Amino acid sequence: MLEAVIVSGVAIGAVYALIGITYNVMYAASRVMSFTSGQLGMLGGVFGAWFILRLGLPVLPGAVLTLSACALVGLATEIVAVRPVLASLEKHLYVLSTLAFALLIQQFVAIEWSTEPQPFPRLLAFGDALIDQKFWLPLAACAAVIVALEIIYRRTLVGRAFLAIAEDGFAARALGLPERRLRMASYALAGVIGGLAGFAGGELMLAFFANGPLLSFYGFVPVALGGLGNNRGAIIGGLLLGLFQQAASFLVGGLFVSVATFVVFIAVLLAAPQGLFGAAAGRRV
Amino acid sequence: MTPTPVWRRALPYLLLLAAAILLPFTGSTYWGVIATRAAIYWVLVAGLNLVVGFAGQLAIGYVALLALGAYTTSVLCARTGIGMVPALAAGGVVGALFGVLVGLPALRLRTFYFAMATLGFATIVTQVALAWTDVTGGGVGVPGPSLPAPFDTPWGFYAACVMLAALATWMTANIAASRFGRALVALRDADVAAEASGIAKAPLFVTVFLFSGAAAGIAGGLFADLQTYITPDAFTFDLSVLFFIAILVGGRGSILGPLLGTLLLTALPEVAAPLVAWSTFLYAALLLLIVLLMPGGIAELLDWRNRRPLTQDRVVLPRPALLADLLPERHRAPALAVRDVRLAFGGVRAIDGLSLDLHAGEVHGLIGPNGSGKTTTLNVIGGFARPQSGSVVLGATRLPQGAPAARARHGIARTFQTPRMVGEATVLDNVMIGGGVTARAGFMEAALRLPRQLREEAALVRRARLALGAVGLDALAAVRCDRLQHSELRFLEIARALLAQPDFLLLDEPAAGLAAPEIHELGALIRALAARGVGVLLVEHHADLIFAICDRVTVLDLGRVLAAGKPAEIRAHREVVSAYLGA
Amino acid sequence: MPLHRRAFLAASAASVAAPVVIRPARAAETVRIGWIPALTGASSAPGIGFNRGVILAAAEINAAGGVGGRMIEVITRDTQGDPTKAVNATVELISRQQVAAIWGPVNSGEALATTPLIARNRVPSLHPCVIDSLIDPAKYPNAFRIAPAGAQWEAAVRHYCLDILKVRKVAIVGDTTGYGTTATRDSVADFTRAGADVVYHDLIDATRTDVTADVLRMQQAGAEAVIPWSVTTGLMARLLNVRGARGWDVPFVGHPSLGSGEVHRLLDREAYWDKVYLVGYRSCSYGADGRLPARMQAFVDRLRGKVDLADTTLWWVAAGHDAIRLVAEAVQATKSTSHEAIIGYWNTLTSWPGLYGDYTWTKQEHNGYPTEEVVMSVASSFRDGAYALAPGYS
Repeated sequence: MLEAVIVSGVAIGAVYALIGITYNVMYAASRVMSFTSGQLGMLGGVFGAWFILRLGLPVLPGAVLTLSACALVGLATEIVAVRPVLASLEKHLYVLSTLAFALLIQQFVAIEWSTEPQPFPRLLAFGDALIDQKFWLPLAACAAVIVALEIIYRRTLVGRAFLAIAEDGFAARALGLPERRLRMASYALAGVIGGLAGFAGGELMLAFFANGPLLSFYGFVPVALGGLGNNRGAIIGGLLLGLFQQAASFLVGGLFVSVATFVVFIAVLLAAPQGLFGAAAGRRV
Repeated sequence: MTPTPVWRRALPYLLLLAAAILLPFTGSTYWGVIATRAAIYWVLVAGLNLVVGFAGQLAIGYVALLALGAYTTSVLCARTGIGMVPALAAGGVVGALFGVLVGLPALRLRTFYFAMATLGFATIVTQVALAWTDVTGGGVGVPGPSLPAPFDTPWGFYAACVMLAALATWMTANIAASRFGRALVALRDADVAAEASGIAKAPLFVTVFLFSGAAAGIAGGLFADLQTYITPDAFTFDLSVLFFIAILVGGRGSILGPLLGTLLLTALPEVAAPLVAWSTFLYAALLLLIVLLMPGGIAELLDWRNRRPLTQDRVVLPRPALLADLLPERHRAPALAVRDVRLAFGGVRAIDGLSLDLHAGEVHGLIGPNGSGKTTTLNVIGGFARPQSGSVVLGATRLPQGAPAARARHGIARTFQTPRMVGEATVLDNVMIGGGVTARAGFMEAALRLPRQLREEAALVRRARLALGAVGLDALAAVRCDRLQHSELRFLEIARALLAQPDFLLLDEPAAGLAAPEIHELGALIRALAARGVGVLLVEHHADLIFAICDRVTVLDLGRVLAAGKPAEIRAHREVVSAYLGA
Repeated sequence: MPLHRRAFLAASAASVAAPVVIRPARAAETVRIGWIPALTGASSAPGIGFNRGVILAAAEINAAGGVGGRMIEVITRDTQGDPTKAVNATVELISRQQVAAIWGPVNSGEALATTPLIARNRVPSLHPCVIDSLIDPAKYPNAFRIAPAGAQWEAAVRHYCLDILKVRKVAIVGDTTGYGTTATRDSVADFTRAGADVVYHDLIDATRTDVTADVLRMQQAGAEAVIPWSVTTGLMARLLNVRGARGWDVPFVGHPSLGSGEVHRLLDREAYWDKVYLVGYRSCSYGADGRLPARMQAFVDRLRGKVDLADTTLWWVAAGHDAIRLVAEAVQATKSTSHEAIIGYWNTLTSWPGLYGDYTWTKQEHNGYPTEEVVMSVASSFRDGAYALAPGYS
């Protein structure tokens, strides 16, 4: 019993963690938190189901096409909803532009795809020996993303440039770093990560338009609690959230889970607005 | 430009009201219901407009408060048998309480977090409504209430809703035009300047959340009456989006714009029935277009006046003589003293044991190279920076640290290195932001236009015009602030600071970006201020100005006082000369 | 050309655009029927099914010369399942379109809001919503139900579990929608009254992506059968998948959505659909010979090639067809489209032979659907919108 709760909690938690990283990657490049993060996860599932089940592609090309499509959506987010408002004096416009863009994506999928959850293909022909693949795939994807990010950020020149931008965009620009191209690359990367979350968790989440807002919220909770821009916090927070939800629905059940998640979220944020691992805000004048 | 006369500002509202009165004569019950719905939504949106359009807080999930009001009213009517009018009042109270509860995170959280929190709250309310079957009826819901005669017929109910909508319009328009409306906008667009003007965020936000929550709760009760029966299904996220977008389509900081936006978005789906499946998609597209192409919304579209070109080559010509009227002869304030202040950011010592005295009627220059701690000193005096040790003392009173909004009451006002203004507000409104600290009339007095409010507002306008005249900007009073030139903003900031009738004025590089004649005028203005008894602390890079007008000069280096004394002494100080003045 | 769901959506959008589905030349003399389904949005599957029957019935009646020479005109308003849109549409149909009768809405949340409104205007009203309180001849003398009430569904499920499957311990779950909470509560009360042991009951958030924990709790409580009440296909499929993956061998007996093609598609294995029984109707059930009752078989044969049944449920189409015919016949019989005449006629019906069932209404009883018609069906036997009777029925 306990094992089943842990397995499913970690699986769904890994999806949340990946969406949390999606938030962070976008934030690092632009100081923007985007409502489209969860929609990317939803699209990972929908595109996967579309390419593999509806169009009948094999799994590997299907995965490549899904992630590419999500990268394009990430790029579109940058071009349509982020870049135009970055220059604006009103610093919160991004909340509105990304909310609008996220709603557009979600409604479009609802109308053109389906309002009912659709099946998602089984990805591997093996790997169900100990634990069903739908439970360990998200965790594997999460680990792969962490390793890949670590390599990109620490070992490559582009990655260091990413970090420089995240640290201080103004100084990075002054150093002559191509901030705009790096930002676009970051959004494409975020698209891939978000898409991967939905793709790896596809069997768990199904190809369902309403996963978008759900993931946007539950993916944001670990980011907010762990501290914005802090991937380690997002992963720990995501896994804990998944475990908490499963444990709570096993122990108490019912409506309690979503209410409790919300209350904890608000309470922690009010006590520590920067998150548990976050840094304090800078000077205002 | 002359200000718009009252009747012209009221004209669009009167036309809408006339249309609302004429609607029953068409005999169309159908359009009656749609108009009733629009009126109810507007009662909510009018209140929400203060939160979103004025305070700039992105509260997305207001459908939760609509649901709370609807359930409170319905449940009270259905289960206790009290009439709908007291039940509606109870709905307003519950809405107000939860409005504050939902709003509180706005005091501490960043915008996106707050938006998420309100969204989460909306989900929770629906879930609780479903689960709390004994009270809410769960999924079966509860029958809606009904107003007593003569408001129990469709047209009677329509009349009641239109009256409440008109009341909501009138009250929010009054608030918007009062110091509370200006303070909200200032907190939104120039929060630092707002705090320096003595506007405390927390009590103001709590008041506004109470008001908008009450409006939403009452709208909920009316909504339940219109629907005849409420279930959690009725409170969809789409409805939240509609409220929110109505405001943004209408335009921030406007009453008429969101009103038109609400009418538009309520009626649109009825006219464009074939598009019903795409309605939320179209709302979202509309929101995106508005944000990207026309952030000012309908209100900006309707603002013809501010599209007229302004005269080019304007010159600021201060008239210091007007200061006599603005700053009447008063008791001289005791000296403002900075004592042994130390402040480090991380490992960097910004100020390291600084002391200085600022006397009433004196101009005190503060100079030094970049990074020597000049602005940080202003921030410590202004309460924005919290020193690790040392104190700021006014006479015998030790001023609290890290509480900038409390400084204005101690007679301390300031300007900023980069002018902090509300671009969308008029020049006059920007100046009046500075005078809020002198007013006493409360929020409801403002909403209902009670006599004390009217008296104070008239006095404030008069003083703001005086201040504008004194700094030489009176010709631009009705112009939107973002159309001004940089040099004009510098003088405007001084005018705003003067409205608080300060004993001490902290000026952060007021001459930066000014042309030589303007610097000269500025110098004369500062001297005139000192002559009226104001103690001026002047941070400047223009050495000529410093030496021309200061009574006393302090030179900072690496957060320490390098030299202090009369201008002549400083001019002769060897280290200062060799280091900065470039002998 | 068979109507497929997607093409159908486009077609229905177009038909709403023209607000009239079938507009004959002599528009002034038509019999106007208001129809307020949810054709798009999250809860649109039933509306789409009903609508196929509606379109067909109107077309058939009009092709046969209409009602006493007058054409049937169905005025459709898509509500998207939103009660506020349903209220707007109802007022429009009554005050602007002056319809003779209203059919719908098809979701309880909407019907709760529209029923008092329609009653206030005394417009004859037919709807298929299951919530018991929606039918009350004293309060709503104009409202008639052409489907079983919730209590009839619950009774069928209870009867099957206790008397045919002979289980004593049941787990009852619902989703956190209005319907789910209500049905769960009523079902728990119904089972408890009958002396069964409800070892577990709870609500599950319909958006939850993993229900392992919930199934574990049911298993731990020792349930011998699971009674799910939800229209959410994702939730139903997830419950069945966990049951299958854990090899937990208990029957699922519950809401008709258990048998929908949407649920079937989401199952990890074909075998997970075994031992799944849903509420069904004798009129729409295959007998041992694999054929439907004669009247229904003739209808389905008539539909062949015109209406696609593979992605919907037969009873929806049949009930949609019945609804239009009930209005048409009332107008035919009374030679009037006045509201009183239609309501008066419906009040006299005894075993009126519909496709979906034989309706009997009196002045005092507007729940017209015969209880013995409500049975359980085998999910995996789904074919052309209908199912085989569950084992144990004669």
